[in-house]
Amino acid sequence: MFDNFTDLFSAPLTINWTLSFRCNFSCSHCYSRDEQVAELETADVKKIIDILVAKKIPFINFGGGEPLIREDLFVIAAYATAQGLNVSMNSNGSLLDESAATRLLKSGFKSVGISIDSADPALHDDFRNMPGSFEKAVAALRVLQNVGLKRTMSSVISRINFQHFHELLDLARRYEVAQVYLHNFKCSGRGFKNREDLDLTPAEWKTFYVEALRVKQQTHDLAISFDDPVISSLPGYDTDPLVNGSSCGKLSLNLRPNGDLTPCGFIPLTVGNILHDDFDEIWYNSPVLNQMRNKRAGGKCLDCGSYEACQGGCTARSYAVTGDFNQPDPHCWK
Amino acid sequence: MDYFTQRPLRNSDIVWRREQRKEERVLRALEEGEAVDEQGTVLLVVSGTMHQLNLVGGMIWCLCDGTRTVDEITAQLADEFSVSRDELESDVREFFDELQQRGWLSYV
Repeated sequence: MFDNFTDLFSAPLTINWTLSFRCNFSCSHCYSRDEQVAELETADVKKIIDILVAKKIPFINFGGGEPLIREDLFVIAAYATAQGLNVSMNSNGSLLDESAATRLLKSGFKSVGISIDSADPALHDDFRNMPGSFEKAVAALRVLQNVGLKRTMSSVISRINFQHFHELLDLARRYEVAQVYLHNFKCSGRGFKNREDLDLTPAEWKTFYVEALRVKQQTHDLAISFDDPVISSLPGYDTDPLVNGSSCGKLSLNLRPNGDLTPCGFIPLTVGNILHDDFDEIWYNSPVLNQMRNKRAGGKCLDCGSYEACQGGCTARSYAVTGDFNQPDPHCWK
Repeated sequence: MDYFTQRPLRNSDIVWRREQRKEERVLRALEEGEAVDEQGTVLLVVSGTMHQLNLVGGMIWCLCDGTRTVDEITAQLADEFSVSRDELESDVREFFDELQQRGWLSYV
């Protein structure tokens, strides 16, 4: 009688929220650099927060674009945290000086993530198309450390770093980072255009994840997180007992600068607008969300013993490459 | 201090949500005699990992705000499920012990 995902989950747990697509960087893998969408006024942003509170959605993570480009970020965060929401963000770090760090702390941010893609400054700067960006990123980690705000580090795994991720972990240790997110490469926006240069082959993904899982199991001074369902078949991976496969459209939704909701930032399918449409109607009845929650094995997944756990891997990647949610994740090595 | 007069308090670092719609459906299923022990009604996010509590566990969890004693919580549950306190006491204690061991609650 309780077969549907939404029988238990009355709403997502996390809203990944892009307040603005504006950014002062021009990264090679960016999913959103070429996006242009009207942004909401602060008052409408607060209306959205009221909706999230009413729906008991506990986590907001601001991404971008560069969140600190919005001057009202602190006001928005303070409004959300005052109502009990847990607010975090991801930043390139370039605008994060001591003053900004103090304001982030005072506005209630629980943690701030800094994107660093290589421990080699020149490689990081080249990947981000911004000379000096590495120094600014580590300076941001330092000021966050100084003000006592929890720090995380995000690294998108690609050809430039997959054989050197240990160095990223060592860098994180130097700044007492609480958690490192090793994000899988998404074929969206510039990530799609530059896929040939940046993405790994399926065999390389397997080699990377086997090693990364081994390191994760042996690491006790630093939390290491992956968010890639394609690794469900590997030994040492703790399958989530509540949600198999991609968490997008299940545990999280993505909010665009104009209030449009998409399953995740990498799937360009709008399922409704949070200011104009009824949230419950979207959550329970969106055909797109329900297709993602009830995937059917396609292609080589049909005969695969790992399908129940991985559900075809990353739905965004399957959709980007094949236009079909049900096709196998192109990163899958099986 | 006497166990029954202690007041359990949830760990404030744990983010949690009572899934009311599910709870109502589970209560209906219970009335119809269905097994509902495995059905979660409260979601917890503990250090980034999700957990769920079933109907009884979820009800206890919701009551652990530091204002009620173990005695009061047990009495409220006995009333809710129309069973005697004696039947509940050991299960409730076992549940509290486990939560305390996990660091999910303390006593105030």
